[in-house]
Amino acid sequence: MYSLLIKHFFRLKTVWLVFGILIILGAFSISTGKQFLSQKEEAITKAITQQQKHLKIQRQYHKDDIGLLSYYLKFLFINPVQPLAGISIGQSDLNSYMQSVSILALEGQKHNTDLVNPMRQQVGNLDVGFLIVFLFPLIVITLNFNLLSDEEEKGTWKMIVIQSKSSFKFLLTKLSIRLVFVFAVLGLLFLTSKMILGIPFTKDFFIIIAMSYLYVLFWFALCFFVILLRKSSSTNAISLLASWLLLVVFLPVTISNYITNVYPIDEAFTMEIKQRDAYHEKWDTDKKETLEKFYEHYPHLKKYGFKTEGFSWLWYYAMQQMGDDDSKTECEGLYNKIKKREVLSKKIAQFFPPLQLQLSMNTIGKTSLSNHIDFLSATTKFHEGVRLDIYPKIFENHHPDVVDFEKYKPEFFKSETNFSLIKNVFSMFVISLILISFGVFINVKHFC
Amino acid sequence: MKNDVVVLLGRQFFKKTFSKKSLLALLLLFVAVLTYVTINGWNAFEDRHENIEHHQNESRDSWESNPDKHPHRMAHFGSFVFRTQHPLRIFDSGLESYTGNSIFLEAHKQNTANFSEAALSTGLVRFGDLNIALLLQLILPLIIFFIGYASIVSEKENGTLKIIYLQGVSMRQILLGKVLGLFMVSALFFIPALIALWSIAYLENHDMNSELIMRSFLITMSYVLFFIVLCFVTVIISAKSENSNKALLSLLGGWLLFFIIIPKTAQVVGSYIHPNLSKIEFREAIEIEVAKQGDSHNPDDPYFNKIRDSVLKTNNVTSVKELPFNYSGFLMSKGEEQSAKIYANQHNKLIESYEKQNSITNGLVLLNPYLAIKNLSMGLSGTDFYNYTNFLSQTEIYRYQQSQYMNTLQMKFISNKAEGSEGKVHVVDKSYWKDAPKFDYKYVAVFETMKHQLLTILALLVWLLLILIMTYFSNRFKII
Repeated sequence: MYSLLIKHFFRLKTVWLVFGILIILGAFSISTGKQFLSQKEEAITKAITQQQKHLKIQRQYHKDDIGLLSYYLKFLFINPVQPLAGISIGQSDLNSYMQSVSILALEGQKHNTDLVNPMRQQVGNLDVGFLIVFLFPLIVITLNFNLLSDEEEKGTWKMIVIQSKSSFKFLLTKLSIRLVFVFAVLGLLFLTSKMILGIPFTKDFFIIIAMSYLYVLFWFALCFFVILLRKSSSTNAISLLASWLLLVVFLPVTISNYITNVYPIDEAFTMEIKQRDAYHEKWDTDKKETLEKFYEHYPHLKKYGFKTEGFSWLWYYAMQQMGDDDSKTECEGLYNKIKKREVLSKKIAQFFPPLQLQLSMNTIGKTSLSNHIDFLSATTKFHEGVRLDIYPKIFENHHPDVVDFEKYKPEFFKSETNFSLIKNVFSMFVISLILISFGVFINVKHFC
Repeated sequence: MKNDVVVLLGRQFFKKTFSKKSLLALLLLFVAVLTYVTINGWNAFEDRHENIEHHQNESRDSWESNPDKHPHRMAHFGSFVFRTQHPLRIFDSGLESYTGNSIFLEAHKQNTANFSEAALSTGLVRFGDLNIALLLQLILPLIIFFIGYASIVSEKENGTLKIIYLQGVSMRQILLGKVLGLFMVSALFFIPALIALWSIAYLENHDMNSELIMRSFLITMSYVLFFIVLCFVTVIISAKSENSNKALLSLLGGWLLFFIIIPKTAQVVGSYIHPNLSKIEFREAIEIEVAKQGDSHNPDDPYFNKIRDSVLKTNNVTSVKELPFNYSGFLMSKGEEQSAKIYANQHNKLIESYEKQNSITNGLVLLNPYLAIKNLSMGLSGTDFYNYTNFLSQTEIYRYQQSQYMNTLQMKFISNKAEGSEGKVHVVDKSYWKDAPKFDYKYVAVFETMKHQLLTILALLVWLLLILIMTYFSNRFKII
């Protein structure tokens, strides 16, 4: 029985068509991920060598004045790419993953973007994540929409009802063959990604795999439910496709639009203006006041006193510091808004498996917006560290030759994610379960 | 007589389609969503506009309220440009979400345009932008396919096609009739969208003369053309399919391929073949060029020493302190001139590499009417790639003028004895800050856009021609 059904399954033209499409797009999506990863890695390597060159050149240009040298010197802070990012590129192609910052005011530097073609960003990436979220449901639908109705329309269903022990079991067998097929293809996709993108077998990778399988299962549950409503093939096709359109295209777009409108981000512009003005107005205000504020922030530097005659680097860097300090509220306001967007997205996404899977993949692959915000906050810390280390050397007017600038090596950002699998799959699991039990429930009398 | 049959068939298809209540429900839903999208998009546009204007004024006010200062301090005080958006972005937001919204313009440093909407949004933004064009470009084609897939093939399945044929109606007439009917049905969907477009054009048309009307007219024409092509394609596929299931499957497969897969693939392949420089490489390239030419900050630089000597000679003096103008201001203006040239050169190269990346998409418009309408609609709505790069060049021109304005002030008013820009001694009167020109953003003219979109328009026309030819030969299609 099983072997006959399997044979029958593989004789279907659609199956081979689906398989062919998946192989081509799978290969394509994995190479997209690979290209993304290797481009970033290459850029990082280049940046690190460039950093050494930069240091050397600047030291040659500004041999005697440490204040001036520190004005030009830039330090590298990198958000490394994980192999898992190749599966779900997420928001990481929109945001800069390397910060090359000088010890001047940071707020004007850290939001600078990378150079990327907006056309590319707008059409989005065809990565493995997209393939799973967007195309796998379609495949599940194509394989299953006429599972029962086709037999009914051809008149074979009656024979099955008469001849088999349980027609329901027969249906389940047919469904399970398709399930195994799709699961195998999905497994193949992950295995190939693992090998080509060099993903280690970690807990994170397993979570992505588990969630993807559950997601595919959700679509099977939905198909199962629709099949058991026992409508015609074309009605099934149209209602399943309509749900796909709704869940994968229309609702995400609407929800994203809704979130943007609920939390419009005006703070970005306000912050920019504020940080510019806060620094520049200090050129015209009382020097002592500026220095007092500066010492308020860093009391341990107070020993450098109040030198208010003419230009001094102490005063200059204090002014720069004020640019950051005075725009802190605005900056935090911006981050809070972004966090609110993230929280609301996650809250809504719980109820929609495609959104849930996409956001979870981004979180795990460290390609989400909040990962970027964490990176920015870490940049602030990194920047402060370098700043506080260099400040005394400038204020004591060390000669550049005696200062060990080489010790400021490029640093890598280490991010922590606490991702709870159970919390994130709970509702998807419940929705699938409800669909299945509902399908069975309305058919109890047919099959018993 | 001949045309009467076509009209009759069209009317029959129209009536039959609307005999189903579900279609009416779908139409109502579509119009409801459309209304929501329009109103919502409009409000968001107004809010954003106000926000941009508010911050633009705030930035300028703070610029003007600067006290007497050394002009070089002002050159670094700099100005912000917040990108104003074209009113038609309510119709088609194109690349708007992905392009930077604010750029800081200061002396001898070119900054990137930052804070694009997408960069501040969660991963959900990558599913797409909700606007009228999305409904017209992605959703409505699907609706047309759903309504039209059975148009001819179902008559074949019922056996009614034979009967119509035997009554002396040619296949060509049947085809045209069905297309007419399908087009009338789709018109019920897209006309409300075009009404939305025209009301935006009418109500936002404050100071742009007839530009907006012209744009709306061209957009209307292109969408009508696009939907004519789509209706023909649907009906022809229906006529050529064996059964209605296959017709539906081919149309849906086609939708997936032409509307989703090809556009994404084309951009990925484009950026794979023509990679662009990363920001760090870009900066490095500029630094190398600048170092080659000479560094204006280096007192012993041969390039700038040569300039100094020739200046001293023409002014008949022996030291820069005796010059009738501020020498360091002069030096900076020379340095600015040189570095701006180098930057422009590198920036053009970058834009060229983007254009090469886009060339695959732009070439594919000939094969893919969806890409054609997408590009055309973006271009006419002032939200395409060309509009964005144009914005960037305008800001760079303004940045250059602003820096040179300050350098000129420095040359004119600052004494050669000045050692630095600190303090209240070597300053310029604050009235000059008010006199500095304001940034005035000009959208790309329609004519200019149309020049860029020639191939796209051509593509739509070629498609129209192609399907007309197919229809002409449709009498050879199988009836049974």
